Amino acid sequence: MRIAILSLAHFHGYSYAAAVAKHPAAELALIWDEDAARGGAAAQQFGCAFEPDLDRTLAAHIDAVIITSANVHHKEIAVKAARAGKHILCEKPIATTLADAQAMVAAARAAGVQFMTAFPCRYAPPVLRVKQALEQGAIGEILAIKGTNHGRMPGGWFADPGMAGGGAVMDHTVHVADLIRWFLGKEFTSVYAEVANRFHDIRVDDCGMLTMELEGGAFATLDPSWSRPAAYPTWGDVTMEIVGTKGTISLDAFSQNLSLYNNDDRVAAWVPYGSDMDEGLVNDFIAAAAANARPPITGEDGLRAMEVALMAYESARTGAPVIRGA
Amino acid sequence: MRVGIVGAGTMGTVHTGSHHEAGHQVAAIYDLRPEAAAANAARVGAAVAPTFEALLSDPTIDLIDICLPTPLHRAFVEKAARAGKHVLCEKPLAPTLEDARAMIDICREAGVQFYVAHVLRFFPEYERARNLVLAGKVGEPGVIRTTRGGIFPTGWDDWYADYSRSGTLTLDMIIHDFDWLRWTFGEVERVYAKSLSTRTTERLDYALVTLRFASGAIAHVEGTWSHSGFRYGFEVAGSKGLIDFDSAKIQPVVVQKRAAEAGVTGVAVPESPLRESPYTTEIRHFGRCIEHGEIPIVTAYDAYKAVEISLAALESARTGRPVTLAKEAF
Ligand SMILES: NC(=O)c1ccc[n+]([C@@H]2O[C@H](COP(=O)([O-])OP(=O)(O)OC[C@H]3O[C@@H](n4cnc5c(N)ncnc54)[C@H](O)[C@@H]3O)[C@@H](O)[C@H]2O)c1
Repeated sequence: MRIAILSLAHFHGYSYAAAVAKHPAAELALIWDEDAARGGAAAQQFGCAFEPDLDRTLAAHIDAVIITSANVHHKEIAVKAARAGKHILCEKPIATTLADAQAMVAAARAAGVQFMTAFPCRYAPPVLRVKQALEQGAIGEILAIKGTNHGRMPGGWFADPGMAGGGAVMDHTVHVADLIRWFLGKEFTSVYAEVANRFHDIRVDDCGMLTMELEGGAFATLDPSWSRPAAYPTWGDVTMEIVGTKGTISLDAFSQNLSLYNNDDRVAAWVPYGSDMDEGLVNDFIAAAAANARPPITGEDGLRAMEVALMAYESARTGAPVIRGA
Repeated sequence: MRVGIVGAGTMGTVHTGSHHEAGHQVAAIYDLRPEAAAANAARVGAAVAPTFEALLSDPTIDLIDICLPTPLHRAFVEKAARAGKHVLCEKPLAPTLEDARAMIDICREAGVQFYVAHVLRFFPEYERARNLVLAGKVGEPGVIRTTRGGIFPTGWDDWYADYSRSGTLTLDMIIHDFDWLRWTFGEVERVYAKSLSTRTTERLDYALVTLRFASGAIAHVEGTWSHSGFRYGFEVAGSKGLIDFDSAKIQPVVVQKRAAEAGVTGVAVPESPLRESPYTTEIRHFGRCIEHGEIPIVTAYDAYKAVEISLAALESARTGRPVTLAKEAF
């Protein structure tokens, strides 16, 4: 299985590349990047070839691609890759508009290639344990979920509306929205949101608060804010409080940390020791691509999660809850 | 300061001790259940009043403290005010804004002082956090999160489980957070909420409420009667910094008893002792307001505004629509 990384605009590309390099049955064959300096340096780091031209990359002898470009470029790259017959792992959010996401899913289907959306949180061991507990019926039926995906303001193209398609709400809604769908096995029916810019002098939203309803009547809230100050001991969090008919589950997915106090650092730091999750994600992608089988996370999953962010923006614009399909 | 207390349930018991600690003399206690009144009276050397009227007709009593289930607040406050007594009433002030307004009006007309026990303003962690915010330590506040709750409460006649009386946790409990938030971050403009109380008849309640402030800041308030134990906390994130507090993580003392019998694990009981309970600080303050004209830290009007936020959240949960609060004060 020969794999190409398409752009390192998103820093997750490095970690996916490392996971590919580690895989016994896969080879990191090529890196393409619109930024030749960045791509060249990465190719050197991973000991593979750099190719500055996208079409030539896709014409090369590769079986699959991992797309970690800026959000708005996902569609063009993914449609080209699908037409070239490559299996695709695409960074979240899958796209920035419903039409783009639909075009990507359709292109993959038409070309008969597998499309997987990168939701690595599904592979974090604490998250897997929650999924297992829910499947075992530990807390009965899910009634309500309180979620957070806090972060620091990532800067760069993330804060450029033309490249990212939005701010914190676009960047940080999809992980937890995906986990909620995965845990419940149900679709969102409505979204209400407050969206604001309160933390940084940037042109996109940096905070918000979403309230969602799901089929069957469960409700959820999600705080996707880039609200962690530089002085905070870690990058952010993914947390969920899940209330069920028979009990509750508290998830703090990235809390397996040591506290470090070092005189040379200006601030205290939490040093993670939790298990890597990107490897599980990449391994499943490689397995699905090798077998030409439906991956555990599909393009449809990516689309549904992104739709929640789009509904949140619409709700903030109209001041009313947005009903799906209405 | 001589006090007559009505109610000898959970809060009546707490207030009895706090008046005593604050140096107020508890003259008499009245409760529907005379044995409960007697037990509390015995702790502080008070009399048991046979009727509410007996409390009101005692000319030596300055203050009537009402620790009754919420729907009874209005009738008891009105009678106490008409009898010329200063009044202290547990939160929530009342189950409706009409009741709340009427209670404030009658106390004003009767020329008596009226206080509502929004005790969170006297919890040092909440007061300290507010001071840090006012001192600009987080910069411009952006997103505030609060949480409160635990086990489903039990009271006299199981009145908490009867939402027509308790008004759900959104009126009964997270009103504490609504008051602290309004005190710290200013007026609330808009409310959106979801609540289990609108969908299940089980002994479970859980509410997630979003507030949008006139300042533009956003708050998320979690209230639960679906967990165990009791836990509360908050996080204030701003443009320059962040404050967080989680009662479950602050355990300066943990007493753990080894189980005597095999197979039974010992229970660890965490404590976070202060020199004075916030309830006592609160009651001492109200006493000084009445006796020495100290400026009240929380007014009956504040209590009215907190009820307004709770009721807006319940309306939003019922209708599925955001509720915009009235701008005008009274
Ligand atoms: N500030 C806080 O932290 C806090 C905490 C809990 C409750 N509260 C509030 O305090 C109030 C009382 O709650 P509680 O938990 O103490 O309730 P409770 O059920 O423990 O006690 C109520 C008491 O009122 C008595 N009573 C009922 N009807 C009566 C009547 N007609 N005349 C005289 N006595 C009567 C009952 O016998 C009982 O002793 C409520 O408004 C509640 O919301 C405040």
